[in-house]
Amino acid sequence: MILLTKRVEFCAAHRYANPRWTEEENQRVFGKCGNEHGHNYVLEVTVQGEPSPETGMVMDLKGLKDIITEAVVDRFDHMHLNRDVPYFKEKIPTPENLAVVIWELLEPRLETCTLHRIRLYEDGTFFVDYYGQRGPQG
Amino acid sequence: MANADPRAREVPRAARGREAPVVEATRAYQFSAAHRLDNPRFGPAENARIYGRCNNPNGHGHTYRLEVTIRGPVSPDTGWVEDAQRLDALVRERVLARFDRASLDDLIAPTDGPTSTTEVVAGLLWRLLDGALPAGRLHRLRLEETPNNFFELERDGVGR
Repeated sequence: MILLTKRVEFCAAHRYANPRWTEEENQRVFGKCGNEHGHNYVLEVTVQGEPSPETGMVMDLKGLKDIITEAVVDRFDHMHLNRDVPYFKEKIPTPENLAVVIWELLEPRLETCTLHRIRLYEDGTFFVDYYGQRGPQG
Repeated sequence: MANADPRAREVPRAARGREAPVVEATRAYQFSAAHRLDNPRFGPAENARIYGRCNNPNGHGHTYRLEVTIRGPVSPDTGWVEDAQRLDALVRERVLARFDRASLDDLIAPTDGPTSTTEVVAGLLWRLLDGALPAGRLHRLRLEETPNNFFELERDGVGR
């Protein structure tokens, strides 16, 4: 079994607010993250599979990039996550929630291999890993 | 394509309203420290043979990079696994305040290990942070001595 990772970047704006809380409560918990701001996100998509005996590849990297671009980058790049993405009208656009939704977007689009991990860097000091509902052991 | 504007495309309903997903959140820190590898049980020649340049009697130092990974369900209230500011405060208090601009050889006890290798320091940092966090929350600790040499500890062993 081989793990193959494709890395892409997208830039987006967001702010954190829980609509069920008062302004004071939001300010206390989220602080400056309650202000509108943005990040250069780095997304690593890791798939697992056996190399094809015909091509020697687990998956065509260009094909994987096209899927990620269509499903994720076109949807989130240079967007305001709270305003432009309907999903984040209900959920707070944290890296955790972004990673989960990116998994949900990519997983059904992969036919020749299995999604193993979504790693999403918000910046050089914070990233999240999501292995789907079944967890890292697969 | 039916609708070229990505804003209009919905995210799948499957991602909504089910049991909180479990995510691993990692925060990175750094500290600068000096040390010298030298096991007091060995003589000078033996230490020089085993540890080489790391045994320089005057010591040397590194900018260590520390990654702390918390694993848990995403809170439906905050969207977070962990409040990063709270984790930052804890790492500052337990680790950075003591280890940054310090000599590691002053900070490790004989029970931590024979000398201040990054393996030994990583084990000590694991115990310091694991003891300060709620049970089972600390999932992985990665300590980079340089970008080329790094060490990882994971709950329930390293292997996945």
